[in-house]
Amino acid sequence: MTESAGTPQASAAPTVSTPSGTASSPARLADDTAQGKTTIAASVVQKIAGIAAREISGVYAMGGGVSRAFGAIRERIPGGGTGAANIAGVAVEVGEKQAAIDLDIVVEYGASIVELARAVRRNVITAVERMTGLEVIEVNIAVNDIHLPEVDGQDDAPAVASARVE
Amino acid sequence: MAGPDPASPAPDPAELAERVAAAVIRVPGVVALHPGAYGDVLTYLPGRRLAGVRIGRPSEPVEVGLVVGLDRPIPDVVVDVRAAVAGVCGDRPVDVTVADVREAP
Repeated sequence: MTESAGTPQASAAPTVSTPSGTASSPARLADDTAQGKTTIAASVVQKIAGIAAREISGVYAMGGGVSRAFGAIRERIPGGGTGAANIAGVAVEVGEKQAAIDLDIVVEYGASIVELARAVRRNVITAVERMTGLEVIEVNIAVNDIHLPEVDGQDDAPAVASARVE
Repeated sequence: MAGPDPASPAPDPAELAERVAAAVIRVPGVVALHPGAYGDVLTYLPGRRLAGVRIGRPSEPVEVGLVVGLDRPIPDVVVDVRAAVAGVCGDRPVDVTVADVREAP
C-alpha cells in the first residue's frame, strides 16, 4: 500500500472556527494569547464556588458524608490546606473559557429546596463568572441530606440516656 | 516604561526574576507567589528558590504563579500583573497561572 501524503480526508473542512464572539460571555481570559496564557487552577474555581454556595442561608453544609468527614479532619491538620472545608462537595471541570460545576449540598429543614437550589445556582454563577472571567455552562446541584435542628440536641442525648436506670 | 535596551547586555535572569517577583507582589489582589500546580514555576537562586517566577530564555514567555485574594476579579488582577511584569521585562509574553485563592482573614 502506498501512502499518499494528501489524502482526501486531510482536506476535509478546516473546522477550527471557534465561536469566540458569543457576546456578553465573559471569555476575557482567552483574548490575551499574544501576551501570554492565563491559567486558572481548578481549585480556585472550586473554592469560589464553595464559598458562594455557602453564602446562601439554608445551605447547612456541603459534601456527602465521606467528604464532610474528611473535610473536618483536614481542617484540624495544620497546613492541611487553608479552606479545605470550602471545597468539600464541590467538583469542577475547568476549560480555557468555561467551567462546569457540581455541588453536593445538605439543606436545612424548612428551606424550599427548589428555591434554595435556584439561589445557590445564581450565586455560584455570579461569583465564578465575576471572579474568574470563565463562563459557567452548568451548575448541577445534588441535595443529598437534610439537616433537622432537633438532631443536634439528640447528639448529646446518649450521655444523659445512660442515667435512665438508676 | 523602561523596556530592555537592545544595546545593553541581557540582564541576569536571577536578578530579573527577583525584580519581577517584587513588582508582582505589589499588585493589588495578589496575596502571594505560587510555584504552580506542578511546582515548575520557580527560579533557582544561590541558596534558595524563588517560587512563582520563571524567566527562561528570552524567546520563552515569562511565567508567573499567583495566589490571589477574593477582593478583586481575577482577570483584572491578571491584567495588572502583566503590566507589572512588562515594566520589568519589557515586551515579552507573560503566562499567568492563578494557582490558588485565599480568603481575607
